[in-house]
Amino acid sequence: MTDRSRAALLIAPAALFIVAGFLLPVGVLLMGGFRDGAGAWSLARYVEFFATPLHVETLWRTLRLGALVTIASAIIGYAAALAIVDSSPSSRGRYIGLFILPMMISPVARTYAWVVLLGRTGLVNVLVLKLGLSDEPLRILFTETAVFLGLVQLFLPLMVLSLVSALENLPPDVTAAARLLGASWLDVFLKVILPLTREGLAVGGVLVFTGAITAYITPAVLGGSKVLMLETLLFQRVSVANDVVTASVIAMLLIVMSYAANALLRRVASVRKA
Amino acid sequence: MRSWGRITLALVLIFLIGPFAIILAAGLSDGETLAFPPQGISLRWVLAVFELESFRASFALSLVLATASTMAALVLGTPVAYALDRYRPPGAIAISALLTSPLVVPGIIVGLALLRHFVIPLGVGVTTALFLAHTALLIPYAARVVSASLANLRVDIEEAAILLGASRPGAFFRVVLPNIRSGVLAAFILGFITSFNQVPVSLFLSGPGVSTLPIDMLSYMEFTYDPSIAALSAMLALMSVAIVLVAERLLGLSRYV
Repeated sequence: MTDRSRAALLIAPAALFIVAGFLLPVGVLLMGGFRDGAGAWSLARYVEFFATPLHVETLWRTLRLGALVTIASAIIGYAAALAIVDSSPSSRGRYIGLFILPMMISPVARTYAWVVLLGRTGLVNVLVLKLGLSDEPLRILFTETAVFLGLVQLFLPLMVLSLVSALENLPPDVTAAARLLGASWLDVFLKVILPLTREGLAVGGVLVFTGAITAYITPAVLGGSKVLMLETLLFQRVSVANDVVTASVIAMLLIVMSYAANALLRRVASVRKA
Repeated sequence: MRSWGRITLALVLIFLIGPFAIILAAGLSDGETLAFPPQGISLRWVLAVFELESFRASFALSLVLATASTMAALVLGTPVAYALDRYRPPGAIAISALLTSPLVVPGIIVGLALLRHFVIPLGVGVTTALFLAHTALLIPYAARVVSASLANLRVDIEEAAILLGASRPGAFFRVVLPNIRSGVLAAFILGFITSFNQVPVSLFLSGPGVSTLPIDMLSYMEFTYDPSIAALSAMLALMSVAIVLVAERLLGLSRYV
């Protein structure tokens, strides 16, 4: 047996499984979005989708929250990653562990913690009432703020871990040299650290952005029906109206957006194609 | 500089991990409704979780599903990792793209597609569809973690075994597999946790009496505002932390993440 046929034999079962159990059903579903009521090829479903104000509003909110969550994660992520890389080697491992840990915990539990914090009788409102900042509990749950907080907490570790590995590859004397030559701390960050770690930033950015736009639990629990995002809209369209076609249009948009974010961020970071 | 770094890290970690302290406390509350700070301390809601029949059933299903689909993903994914690493076949990039495609498509769509094309027309059971969907999702994880440990294994020990007369499969099972077992175990743990916590893929794939634990929790949360979900969330979080800590001690799990 040649190496080539051995390789084919080893790969075939998984490839067949993915094609039959995943690609085919998903492909058929996605194709449904490109047919009209009579079964002919058409873009009518997409035209309809963009003609519905609720859908466009949801798409816009998804993009906006995705972008905001990515930016916030990048800012907090750099602060945390720089501090981790700066700490002693023994505590570095422990800090990285503390960032990996939440990723292993059920997103339902992680999201539910925010319900306890932000709800009418939650910690934030208890403090607000005690301090006399407001006469009645603030409505934070079921707002975009709540969804934003939940998404940042969910995806921040991905950004931190990818920035840490980028910063670890940065020769330490480069920043020291820039400091010695009189650059301010901000200059060192903007002109030395940022350009040299942009690859890690792009990888983290893609993970956070695509994670945020395709998240389901966080918008469902913290946003409810008031703050729809594409995934929650998709679920609602199918479960309430049995509207599978709109669902397939949304799915296609999410896939295209994920690929676009990937291509865009990689271009911004001018990462060489591997 | 270091003290600023410590303060920054402390704040970020409070944001990241602090909420767990909150659910832990809320789950130990004695009150009727969810509140913070909790009214009194008791194990009342922790015990209440065990009383709920639906949680017991969905916990059992999640456990079986996570075990079965992770095993299947490892059985299918390990040969791929091996073939890509050792034979470097033409089209390796296309093969990797095909095998990681389940990570690109939103999970909710995978579940919906299987419902529409297997469950409804072919009468395939919901549990079987759940198994298919979870396995497809886990194959990329399994293949990636196993290939990471294969990359660290020297090829010559396997070649030595073959020169000494072992067959290729024999060399794999008696030389390669024992040497990458911690990687395979790490892949199992990561796959198990991923499947156990999975929501979007399972969202449409539940029938009467068939629901995974996270889905069951989500629907319970919609209608009830008592501390039982906080108690259950806290228990699940502690379970994950325990698994990860033990795995980190035994295998260095973080090398594979």
